[in-house]
Amino acid sequence: MRLNLGAKFTLTVLIILAGTMAANTLYFLDTSARFHEQQLVERGRALGRLISLVSPDAILGFDFLLLNHYTREVSSQQDVVYGVIVSPQGVPISSYVNDSDPLIKKRLQAADSNDIPKLLQRLDGQDALIRLEFPIAHNDVLLGRFLLGISRQSLQSEFRRQLIIQILVLAAIVLFLSAAIHAVFRFNVLFPIQKLIAASQKVGRGQYTQVAAKSSDELGLLARAFNAMTEEVRQEQAKLHRQANFDTLTGLPNRMMALDRINLEISRARRSVQRFAVFFIDLDNFKNVNDSLGHAVGDELLVATGARVQASLRDADTVARLGGDEFLVLAPDIANEVQVEEIAERLIKAISEPQELNGRKVVAHCSIGIALYPDNGENVETLMANADNAMYQAKATRHGSAIFFTEEMNTRLRERMQMEQDLNLAVELGQLALHFQPIFDTASRRHRGAEVLLRWHHPERGAISPAVFIPLAEATGQIVSIGDWVLEQACRNWSAWRNGGINPGFLAINISRIQFRRRFSKRLAELMSIYGVPPGALELEITESVLLDDHHQVAEELGSLRAAGLTLSLDDFGTGYSSLSYLKRFRFDVLKIDRSFVAGLPNNPDDVLLVKAILAMAKGFDLTVVAEGVENHDQLSFIAAQGCDLAQGYLLAKPMNGDDYLSYLKNLQTGVEPLRLSASRNQRTTSTS
Amino acid sequence: MENQSIRYWNRKWRRIVPLLWMIAMAAMAPVSQAAQDPLILGVFPRNKATETTSMYTPLANYLSERLGRKVILVTSKDFESFWKAVTERRYDIVHYNQYHYILSAQSYKVIAHNQEFGKDAVAGALYVRKDGGITEVSQLRGRTIMFGGGKDAMLSYIAPRFLLMQAGLKEGDFKTEFAVNPPNALLALYHKQADAAGGGDILIDLPVVKNAINTQELRLLAKTEPLLFLPWAVKRTMPTKLGDSIQTILVELGNSDTGKNILKTAMTTGIGKAGDRDYDPHRKMTTAVFGPTSAAK
Repeated sequence: MRLNLGAKFTLTVLIILAGTMAANTLYFLDTSARFHEQQLVERGRALGRLISLVSPDAILGFDFLLLNHYTREVSSQQDVVYGVIVSPQGVPISSYVNDSDPLIKKRLQAADSNDIPKLLQRLDGQDALIRLEFPIAHNDVLLGRFLLGISRQSLQSEFRRQLIIQILVLAAIVLFLSAAIHAVFRFNVLFPIQKLIAASQKVGRGQYTQVAAKSSDELGLLARAFNAMTEEVRQEQAKLHRQANFDTLTGLPNRMMALDRINLEISRARRSVQRFAVFFIDLDNFKNVNDSLGHAVGDELLVATGARVQASLRDADTVARLGGDEFLVLAPDIANEVQVEEIAERLIKAISEPQELNGRKVVAHCSIGIALYPDNGENVETLMANADNAMYQAKATRHGSAIFFTEEMNTRLRERMQMEQDLNLAVELGQLALHFQPIFDTASRRHRGAEVLLRWHHPERGAISPAVFIPLAEATGQIVSIGDWVLEQACRNWSAWRNGGINPGFLAINISRIQFRRRFSKRLAELMSIYGVPPGALELEITESVLLDDHHQVAEELGSLRAAGLTLSLDDFGTGYSSLSYLKRFRFDVLKIDRSFVAGLPNNPDDVLLVKAILAMAKGFDLTVVAEGVENHDQLSFIAAQGCDLAQGYLLAKPMNGDDYLSYLKNLQTGVEPLRLSASRNQRTTSTS
Repeated sequence: MENQSIRYWNRKWRRIVPLLWMIAMAAMAPVSQAAQDPLILGVFPRNKATETTSMYTPLANYLSERLGRKVILVTSKDFESFWKAVTERRYDIVHYNQYHYILSAQSYKVIAHNQEFGKDAVAGALYVRKDGGITEVSQLRGRTIMFGGGKDAMLSYIAPRFLLMQAGLKEGDFKTEFAVNPPNALLALYHKQADAAGGGDILIDLPVVKNAINTQELRLLAKTEPLLFLPWAVKRTMPTKLGDSIQTILVELGNSDTGKNILKTAMTTGIGKAGDRDYDPHRKMTTAVFGPTSAAK
């Protein structure tokens, strides 16, 4: 049985009170009984002594009538059961028995009423009887004895009566005191505690109530401590709420809050049959700002962007920072797409306004993806995904634009997801294959090596372009396992060819940003060790995007690769987040000119200038330059004339599968000139085996 | 001459008349004194003075009223004082026991006697315990006999002694003990303090005895002829008429409610006439016990 505090306390008090008072009462009763018994005995002694004193004359004078008078008088005293005067020989000479006494009555029925000695014998040993004996003497001569029997029964009856009375009084006192103490406890302790409990429960539900703290006793201190704790919890909760729901940098709602508000808006819009719009905003080239102007400026840009976005919105609209350089705007109660377009335009304009940051003028652009409820989704996940998708479309299309999500995007998304699933199985099912596009010395036209290209032959969709599945793999992280497979296949092939007496030259393997983050150098070292591939046989092509990541990590990884003797190539130079400072910061061996710059050679003056600049710069850094996408002789001639070291393209050789490449190599080997390999950087020579 | 004679006889009568008056007064003094002086009633100290007073004051008052003369009850602190008053004839009316009367018969004349339980006479008796094994008075030789009161107790000592003497037991042949009164003598026998007890034959029937002991355990061993109970006597010098009046008043007490109450207060059932001859049996016993001339005390 569960007892509450009040009941436990009251029960405890009741037990203590009852125990204490019972002990006290019993002690009192016992003491009283002893006292009264003592009184009784003293009275008996007084009577006995008196009889002993007055009896000699009567005994000596044979005045038995007087003795009878004495014994009768004595026996008529309260509680006296018998008074008997016996001769020195023990023969009763005068006796009086109180035959109405229960003790006597019972025994008189059994004994001969005249036989006093027998009666006395029967009375002997009775607990209820006090037996006293007094000698009757005169001049030291024993004349007889006075036997006095005093009953304890009235004492015992009185004791029982007192006990009952005391028990009743005790019970009444204990109950009264317990009730009083319980009432006081309830009022002074339980009520405050209950208030604290109620307040605690409210705090648990998020209602930070305070309790009254009027008294200066422990409960008052507890109440004050509770209030202080509640306030701290409230502040902490507010802080956590802010941290959980708001972005620390911009003060805007964060992703979690954005999702929550979208959910709320969905419920509201569903009820009122309204439409609302979700805008996914991504700042274009934000990394450049961070890298060129510093993170502090980047943060300032984000804060300013958030403020501008907020300022350009209605009160009912919500702007949140999703993370990085992504923002989300929730615009409820949308009447039509025109309204949405207007909002998007306001946003783009607000964001693209020049900003003064850290003493510098910065212009930021953004890409905005728009999803409408319920048109483009009826739950937050769909809306977010579709807006995100649209945003990526906007980014791919043109910076500083806003695109509505379309079903086509949805289709593409579905296709993308399907492709993602298929890609997961592609390695296991052997759908991936390595192709090799030879790389040649531009001057001698001699084969130097090949770029390893990944091909995916989907059983249903046929050949899927790397431009499609590589970004997907990078986005999903599958690139790590695929990249690892590519590395292993490349090493195996090279080793097999080499062991087969073929000199394959070097193999240039594309390394994705994701692989770089996973510190693949250790894995590469393992593979090279397993397949016996020397460092000079491999060239790692790294795009500029890798360099956008943590510079320390990048430098460290690059350092490890260089220390292993590998050749590092900066791929697609000039197409991405190019920063010339990368060339200074990170040590590369090769620089690959993107095909987009080669395509316009030799006629496009811009491309000419760019290529020349790149070549000049690369030479300055003592880099080997490879031109990609050489598709005609003019291009080849131009780049060769400009001193470009190596070239690859359809003009020279198309990508081919491993078997075809092997045949190619064999033909080369048997054909023209031997190829000689060197382990040192920038000295890649080939020799016949 | 005639004037001288008249003056002579006047002087003579002035001397003679007072003298004759004085003589007449002197002659009448005893009569008037006798008519005016209260009668003294003495009661022997059988009981305590307070009890005696309580018992006999109503009687004294009644006598006073009936006689038209104050009757004063005088108690004595002990027997010696009482007997001294008897021997000095200070009492006009005296109530005592039979033996006392016999001893004072020369000075006092018995006029009435008490009745007990409606009886005029009570025999003296010897009692024994039924389980005592004594069936003859003669078996009391060498035994302890409890008498009540004292040697002047007629029924509790003298009569039982007479019985013992008749059985051939004289003083010294048995051990004599005295209880304070006759009922206690019987109680003493009951409580085995003696082998026999002496007392009146009505003693065993007294309520005070029956209430105290189981009298069924005792039996009467022997008894005398009935003896007239306690006497009332007047001084022999009391005028006969007065004595007769007193006798009549006493005897007629039982005829009225007032008298019955007085008798009840005096703890007697009645008072009967008595004459000296009525106490001859008593004289015979006392003579046998004490001798012709020796007094009990």
